[in-house]
Parts: sequence; C-alpha cells; structure tokens
Amino acid sequence: MVFCDVYATLVLSSKNRMVNVVMPLPIFYLFFNFGAATDILAVICLKSEDGVIMLKLPKQELMSLISELRRLGFEVIAPTRSNETVRLAALSSPSDLETDYIRIINSPRDFLLPSREPLFRYRSTATVTSYGLKIRFPTVEGPCPVTIVPEYTPPKVKIAFFGIHPCMANSIRYLDKVMLSEPADPYYKARREDMFVAVLECEEGDQYCLCKTVESYKVPEGYADLMIRRGGDGFLVRSRSKRGDELLASLKRGEVAGKPKDLVPRLKEEYAFDRTDEAGIDERDASEYVGACTLCASCTVTCPTCYCSDIEDKFSLMDPSNVERSRVRMSCQRRCYSMIAGGTTFLNTKEARFKWRLKHKFPFSERAYQLVGCVGCGNCIAFCPARIDFRKFLGRRVA
Amino acid sequence: METKTLRLTLINWRADFLPGQFVQLLLPGVGEAPFCITSSPSDPKHIELTILRRGLVTTASQYIRPGDAVGIRGPLGRPFPLDRFHGRDVLLVATGIGIAALRSLILYILENRKKFKEVTLLYGARFPEDLVYRDEIKSWAEHVKVMVTLSKATEQWSGLRGRVTDHLKEVSLHKDLVAVVCGSPAVMESITNELIKYGLSSENIYVSLERHMKCGIGKCARCLIPGGLLVCKDGPVFSASEISIKAIGE
Repeated sequence: MVFCDVYATLVLSSKNRMVNVVMPLPIFYLFFNFGAATDILAVICLKSEDGVIMLKLPKQELMSLISELRRLGFEVIAPTRSNETVRLAALSSPSDLETDYIRIINSPRDFLLPSREPLFRYRSTATVTSYGLKIRFPTVEGPCPVTIVPEYTPPKVKIAFFGIHPCMANSIRYLDKVMLSEPADPYYKARREDMFVAVLECEEGDQYCLCKTVESYKVPEGYADLMIRRGGDGFLVRSRSKRGDELLASLKRGEVAGKPKDLVPRLKEEYAFDRTDEAGIDERDASEYVGACTLCASCTVTCPTCYCSDIEDKFSLMDPSNVERSRVRMSCQRRCYSMIAGGTTFLNTKEARFKWRLKHKFPFSERAYQLVGCVGCGNCIAFCPARIDFRKFLGRRVA
Repeated sequence: METKTLRLTLINWRADFLPGQFVQLLLPGVGEAPFCITSSPSDPKHIELTILRRGLVTTASQYIRPGDAVGIRGPLGRPFPLDRFHGRDVLLVATGIGIAALRSLILYILENRKKFKEVTLLYGARFPEDLVYRDEIKSWAEHVKVMVTLSKATEQWSGLRGRVTDHLKEVSLHKDLVAVVCGSPAVMESITNELIKYGLSSENIYVSLERHMKCGIGKCARCLIPGGLLVCKDGPVFSASEISIKAIGE
C-alpha cells in the first residue's frame, strides 16, 4: 500500500454538527467510495510523499477554478453546449461549462492551430493591372522594394483548456510532435508555451470511441496540469503539475492525498488493428466503405490531429501592394491536396483519399514520430454524414 | 512548351546550395511555388530557375522582366549525394522539363569533370520545340556523352527517335553505375523499373520527386509520399531503395 502511512482528516457534517475524523488513507478511500451517501464538506489530508494534491469539489467550486485561471490571465476554453452540440469555446461565464458530454465537434487544434492564420504581411510596389495576366513586379532601382512588415506577431495568449477529455489532451501531444519538431513552428509554439490543461476523465464512450485501441485514455506526463473526475456528487480534482499544485493551493480548501490510476472508460464497441501495416491498407478493398463518401471532408475538419495546410498570399484589389500571407487548413479529401503543376493528381479516387488519411494517421505517423496520429475520439465516424467506419476497414471488432 | 529561365542576383545574401536542392520563389502579390535550382553551386551569388508555364505562379513568372524584384526562400531539401557519385560512371536520364532538376548537377560535373568517370546524359522530349537548353546541350556534349531522343520527332529531326527507355540498351549499364532520373512521375517509375531490369541496384538509382511543397520545412504535410516520407525534408532526392518504386509514379 502506497498511502498507508498517510492519514486523512474528514470533516463530516452530521445533524448540524461538524465532526472531524482522522483515519488511515486506505480506510478513508472506503469512505470516499460512499461519498454520495456521506455529506463530505471538505477533506483535509497530509500531502502524500509523491506530492500529489487532490481535492473533492462540488461543481460550483470547479467554476471557481475557472475564475482563478482567468484571474491569472488565461483565456479559458471549455466545452459548452449549444443546440445539442457540445463544442470548445472561450467561456464567457464559468456557468457555461458543460461537464456532461461524450464528444465535442471541435478540438484544441482549432485554438492552437487555427484554420486560417495570418502569418505576416508584406508590402511591395507590385501593381496588378489585370490579375493573373499582366503583372508588373517591383524593380530593384533604389531601396529594396519588397519589405516584410512584421505587422503580425504571434499572439501572446495564455490558453487554458478546461474539461477536455484525455483523447483531446493526447491530440495536443501529437500536434506538439509535428509542429515543435525542428524547425519549430513559432506561431504554434507561442500559443502552446503557456498552455494550461485540465482534463476531465472519461467514464463512458459512445459507439464511435476507440481510445482503448489507441491507448489515448491515458494522459502522458506534461499534457495535464489537473485531472478531474466525477466522484460522488462532486468532482475529484488532482494535480499533475507544479502549476496544478499552485492552482489547487490557491483555493485554500482541504485536500486529500492519493494518486489514482487513469480511469479506463467503458466503450460500447472495441476494435483491434495493426497500426503500422501500410501495405495492408493498400491491399484491402475499400470500395464498400467509400461508396457513400461525398468527399465533404468532415472527417478531416473534425479530427483533432489533422494539420495539413496550404499557404495563401492575398491582397485587396483596392491596395494590391499590401499582401497578407496566411496558413489555411487543407484536407487530403480535396483534389487540390495532391495536385502538382500540370494537373497530375496523385490521389485521384475516393478510395485513394480514404486510404491516404488512414495511412497518414497510422503507419506514416508511427514511422515519423513513433506515435499514431489517431487519438480515438471517433469524430471522423460520428460526424461523417455517411457514417463511414474506418475501424471496420482497418481491423476487426473484439468486444 | 513555354519555359523561361530566370537568373536571379541575390541582394545582401549568398545561397550555399548543392545540386538537387530547391527554393521557394515568391512573386509579390501572387504567391509562392517551389523550383529546383538549375545553376551551378560554384556561384552562390546567383540562382537560376527554369520555369514551365503551368499554374498561377509559373504563369505570372512569364511576365518578369530584367530588373524586377522577387523573393527567394531556401535552399531547401536534401541534395544529390555527390560523394557517392565521385569516381564512378554516371547516367543522367531526364524527360521534358525534368532536365531542369539535373542541370545544376550537370554543371557541377562539367566543372569537376575529373572526379567522375564516364558521364552519359539521356534526354527525351516529345517535340523538337520541347527541348530545353538546346544551345547549352551542344556545349555539354564536348565533355559528356549526350543522347537526345524525341518521341514525336518531325522529319527534319536527324537525332534519335523514340522514348528514353528505348535507348537505355545503348548505354553500357553495369552494376557500379549511378543513375539519376527526373521527369514526370509515371515516366520516372517506368525508367526506374527498366534500369532495375538491366541489373542496376536500386541503391544506385536516384530520383528527384516533384510535389507541391507549401512550407518547405515539413509542417504542411503536402509533400507526403507513400512510406511516410516528406519530399521537402527527406527529399526531393531519393534513392530508389528508400522509397517503393510504385511511390515514384503514385
């Protein structure tokens, strides 16, 4: 027993009397399991040796954590419900926080790597008399006529993701691998650096979740500052980082010690497949899966790890010398994704594009980053209008 | 074919590049596109790009006049492994505009001719007017063996006729030879297959792949090829043993 030399003090209310009970931690945990039956007001405990702080909080107190994060200058992004859809959004009021959900339609990617991101502006003396036909470029007489104007600098925002599921925390890990590998992307890095993550552990998935197959129900070290899980009528909040410790300490509430294992969610269906088998994906016949595909690209739009992008230079016809360069999200389901000069398109069929997405998620990512690009959220199946289920294509159902 | 070779003078900057690398050419207000450097690496103050009119940037580049200013980002990508070419017979096979990707290497070979044994350039195009660097090729022929073949030759054409694969047998192909192939994807695949049939090891066959690289630094994933390699970072030069031969034409 790890915690048997740690004693806990329970403050119980019983018939309007406050009772303090001191007991060894394992016995305390027994109480904890009946938390719903016992009206626990606060739990006070010595800190465990490994320094994990854990609190049990009612939902109102959870909201005070959000207020505290805001006070510290974070923009809190959390699941909110609107029209039967749960989506991540900047919280206008802590009470908008939605904790009772299975999937969100967007993901942390949309905040760390926006679908359209201006990179910089540049000014040139280029004049466009007839766009695409007669272009006069600036000439090199005098000072250099093309100047990069740093009108855009990466925003120094402090993002706090509050109440995202473990799969979404894992998606940040994958984006880190891609965007922070040398040379690191400065725009992503600026958003990522001061990020705070409070993960709401998942108890139950729906029929599209596959986090067990890709083991994304576990949150790796460094990808959660707080772990929140339902406990009785409130929430159990434990810290996983120094910043998490500080935030919980700021609440000045009683705390319990412990380091519970990551919660394994109950899934309705489970599948098994080989993540590294590129040849296997090529060989299989996908026609029965892609027959109903409309190439709407919902799978890549709702995927928390799809990061493929395009670079666009845009100017206003009113002021053609002022050009903005943006990074715009691109989908491999579109024809122009794989088109090269002269019109040769490498991914010509629906089947090729369907397989390409899976190859990029599994064997390609495994090879490049030793990490699969699928975090098992199931968004690509749940939001597909044709309900194309790649799990059945890649593997077989095991439970 | 409407091709144009731009000779760019670099202002306050020198590009230390090697044959096989590419740059992103920025046309202010139009956009950016990747082009392989076609000039010799011995002159880092100038960069030459041979551009075939195809899309937005390449069309706009036809309107560039002497003295105009453009932007360059690079050099990017992995060059030809020249160390492995030294002291060996080299076969260069190019079709169409693919010769542009090999010109830098050819100029390097001409400048360092003693480092290489027998060098053969096999260049194929469809029509006589499709031939790029027509006048230059004549001067190359004084130092290396040049074979130019046309698949749709006119009656006036006195040179070789047919596809490049028809003339591979005229080159003395042996195991120690290094072959470099560049052309359209399907043609590169068939040439690579032919060379392997003639007994060349896939490690000694190099291809220069074309993809529409957007960022050039491995962040946009637009140049991903089967096998999970990125053409901008891991390429554009690959040996045929590093990638599946099917991936060349895919």
